[in-house]
This record gives sequence, C-alpha cells and structure tokens, in this order.
Amino acid sequence: MLAFVFPALLFYSVFMLAPAIGGIWYSLTDWNGLNPSYKLVGFANYIEALTDDPIYLKSVFFTLKYVMFMVVLQNAFALLLAVLVESRRRSKVWFRTIFMMPNMMSMIIGGFMWMFIFTKVLPYIANHTILHFLDRSWIGDPGYSFYAILIVALWGGVGYLMIIYIAALQGVPQNLKEAAAIDGANKIQTFWRVTLPMILPAVTIGIFVTLNSSFKVFDVVYALTGGGPGRATQVIALNILEEAFYRNNRYGYASAKAMILFVIVCLITLVQLRLMKIREVEV
Amino acid sequence: MSSESTNAIGANPRGRVGSGLIFLALVVVAAFTLLPIAMSLLNSLKTDGEILNNILSIPAHFEFSNYINTFRKIKFMRSLWNTVVVATVGLTGIILFGSMAGYKLSRTRGKLSEFLFGLFVMSMLIPFHSIMITLTKIARDLNIQGHIIGLGLIYIGLGVPMAIFLYHGFVKSIPRELEEAAVIDGCGEFKLFFTIIFPLLLPVTATIAILNTLWMWNDFLLPLLMLTDSDQYTLLLSTNMLFGEYGNNDWSAILAALVMAMLPAMALYLLLQKYITKGIAEGAIKG
Repeated sequence: MLAFVFPALLFYSVFMLAPAIGGIWYSLTDWNGLNPSYKLVGFANYIEALTDDPIYLKSVFFTLKYVMFMVVLQNAFALLLAVLVESRRRSKVWFRTIFMMPNMMSMIIGGFMWMFIFTKVLPYIANHTILHFLDRSWIGDPGYSFYAILIVALWGGVGYLMIIYIAALQGVPQNLKEAAAIDGANKIQTFWRVTLPMILPAVTIGIFVTLNSSFKVFDVVYALTGGGPGRATQVIALNILEEAFYRNNRYGYASAKAMILFVIVCLITLVQLRLMKIREVEV
Repeated sequence: MSSESTNAIGANPRGRVGSGLIFLALVVVAAFTLLPIAMSLLNSLKTDGEILNNILSIPAHFEFSNYINTFRKIKFMRSLWNTVVVATVGLTGIILFGSMAGYKLSRTRGKLSEFLFGLFVMSMLIPFHSIMITLTKIARDLNIQGHIIGLGLIYIGLGVPMAIFLYHGFVKSIPRELEEAAVIDGCGEFKLFFTIIFPLLLPVTATIAILNTLWMWNDFLLPLLMLTDSDQYTLLLSTNMLFGEYGNNDWSAILAALVMAMLPAMALYLLLQKYITKGIAEGAIKG
C-alpha cells in the first residue's frame, strides 16, 4: 500500500502538513523570518493580535461584514438566476454560458477590469449623461469601496453557485411539480413548498462554499483597492501578508494571526457539517 | 392568482408577459456580466486620447499597437510558457499521485489506511493563508523559491488531497472482480493499476483535471510569494507588474494585457464548456 501512497504523502507532508505544523510552532515564537535564532513567547502573539492590534481586529471585522453580505447576496442571486435560466427553453444555454464566464478568469483580471469601469467608465458616463450619481469615488472613498468590492466579488462568484443550483434544480422530479400544480398550487407556491425543500442540500453546499471562499478573500481586494484607501478595505489575508512580508517581517506574529483565521474557518466548517448531518436525518 | 390560468404555461397572455419580463431581466444581467469584458476589449483597441474622449464608442480604427507593445512589455510568450509549465507539472503530479493513493486507500482496509485518508481529507480545511508564511520559508530552505518547476511541485502538495478524496469515492464504484481476474493472470500491482484501473477512472480524472487547471491557472497569491524574477513570472504576475505604485495607469497597455491574459482561459472555456460546467458541479457537490 505504501508504495502507492508514498509520493502523494511526501508532497503533502512537505508542502501542506509541515507548513501547518510549523505555523503553529512559529506562532508561539518571536521569529522574524531572517534571524536564525528566536525564542518561545507562549501565547503572547495571540493575546497581542486579539487585544492590542486595532488594525488586525478591524480587518477581521471588515472580513466578517464582507462574509455576511456575500453569504446572503451571492446565494440569493445565484438561486434566482438558476431558477430564471432554467425557465427558458432555447436561450438557456446562452445565458448559462455568459453568467459563468467571469468565473473562468482570475479575479485579479476581473478586479483590474472593474477598476477601469469604476475609475474611468463610470465617471465618463456621469459627465456625459444625466446619470450624475455614478460620479463617485468608488475606489477611493471607504464608504463606497466596500460596495465596489462586493459588486465585483458577486460578478465573479454568482455564476459558479448558479451552476450548482441548476444541477440541483434539474434533480427535482418533474412529477412532484406537476402534482403540486394539479393540487392548485401556483408557480411561486410550488417553488417555496416543493422545489426549495428538495434543493436544500444544494443550498447548504452553496452557503458552505461561500463562507469558505469569502473568509479567504484576497484577489478581488488586492486588484481593486489593495486594501485601501489607507487600510479601510484590508481583509485578513492582506493583513497577514502585510505583517509578514511588507511591514515588520514579524513572521511569528503573522503566523499567530494566520492560525486565528484557521480556527475561524475550522469552527464554521464544523458547525456546517453538524447542521448538514441534522438536516439529513430529518429529511 | 387568477383562476382562469390553465396548466399550459405561456398559453395565456399573463404568462407570456411574465416570460417576457424574465427574459428582459436575464438580458440586463447578461449585459452587466459582459460589461467589463466588452469595455476592456473595446478600449484596448484605442489610443489613450480616444479612451479619454470616447470611452463608450467603437474604436475609430483598430489600434493594434497597444497589443504589440504590451506583448513585449509583459513578455507574453515567456509568461504564457511559464504558466503552462507550472500547470502541467502540478496537474501531472496531482493526477498521477492522487489516483495511485486514492485507489490504494479505497481498496485497503485497516487503521493505517483510514488514518492516512483522514489525514489527507482533514487538510482540505486548512486555508492557504494559514500556511503561506511557513511554506515560503520551506520553499526558501529547499531552494525552490524562484523556480517555476518548484512552484508546480508545491501545487502537487496543495492539490493532491482533494484529488485523493474524489478518486477514493469513485474507486468504490468499480467492481473488484476485475482486479481479482488480473491478479490470477499474474499481473503485478503497478501494471494492474496503470493498464486496467487508471483508464476506468477517466470520468473523475477529467473533473480533477478541469478543477485543478482552473485553480492553478488563475491562482495569484502563491506565484506572488514564490517567483522573484520577472523572467519566471506567470501571466497574472506579468499583468500585475503593469500597475504603477501611485495611480497614473497606462490603461491602453493594461487593457491589452488583461485581454491577452484572459484569452487562453476563455478559449478553453468556450471549447470545453460542457465538461467544465459538469466538472464544476460535480466537484462542488462531492467536495
């Protein structure tokens, strides 16, 4: 058996397991990345991150806010689009192809494209038409840049979830819907009472996927605002990166911040798995 | 709801109006989706002055010089080659090692097998950002930082757990009788796997290939941490390089770069759309 498993285990151990365990170890030290000598500091890094680092805490809360908006909006839009697209006959394939398109490119590319829209195209439209309200500092004003990030993230992510929801919708037996129609249910009632309960497992997956990906959000923010203006849109991943590589080289401290992110993601996953189990038993 | 409505959907005027509204809504969303892509495409063919004055119009004449300049500036062929090499090394390792391990772990019973499988699956919980700092140090220590092959090797380590998970599930659906017959014929373990089992895994191999290619092709953060020399840059890193520190972006050059960087993935998508969509749906549901 080991002959088959060994190659995978080797790469996995060196590039995944070792960094994970090493990260836990370094998070308990004052290592600065360059100096070969460092000493154990216990949980001091964790305590500092959670009590004495307003920049980090701000990035955590900003990420949480982003996650909440994404979980609700991304799933709602994806489900709505899936239902609408599935209701078409001939144009179905076209719409699906188009909505899925942004998901095929890196959000770095998508983010840069949207930067062009926000900083060049929208101001141009505002100046040349009556749509003056479009002339905002979408990227430069912290009040708007959150929504700019949200728009781009939804643009890039909705298509992916839509595919999952379409697959689920296609799995709902047609005769159930027909039976509901014969019983006098209209389309909206049929959706809420028949279709939605049938696709709940897909909704769980959708929420899980969104939670997981939006806690780790990086590319969109990097491309669009770089965390700015100032640090107004800095997410956890950017904060860790800055701490480790661009500011003080405090690798040990940055590792502690990274472990806190790990714990958050783990907790959410465990809760999610528990919920999934309970629901599966009920159905 | 009106009691007149019959079960023949769309037969009454009300159904037709509703259907028209849905179509209209979908067209609006489609336009929104295509807007940044179309705008980039259009303006990448204009001069900087034309971008400033007529951002929305079709270009007066096609200014291909943007593409020629950018092609050289971002070392397009070099970057494309680097990206292909990274993805090829990564994908080969993920599929080869992932299928071997997934198959064997699925067929073997016992504590050790269960433990190893659990170890691989557990790691799918670990966010990349939690390991990136130490991973950078390990890459430096192993002297693979700054090498595209090294980057590909790292992708093997990061991508192999999900591949094992998917292969592990798929192997269960393959009857054991095949292997037993082959063993009686005196077929060795590796020969048995590569000649008989591996071809049967093709459907799940396709899913894994699609998901991982998309991931590696579009990943930005790991190459950013690993590649130091612009000769090693992937397409995304080369494109990123065009942005100055303090605004003043040369948009005609940047937009041309964005279109060029987007093109390979888009072409592949339109070509293999059916498989990609299927792979994504399956990967999400099983993963």
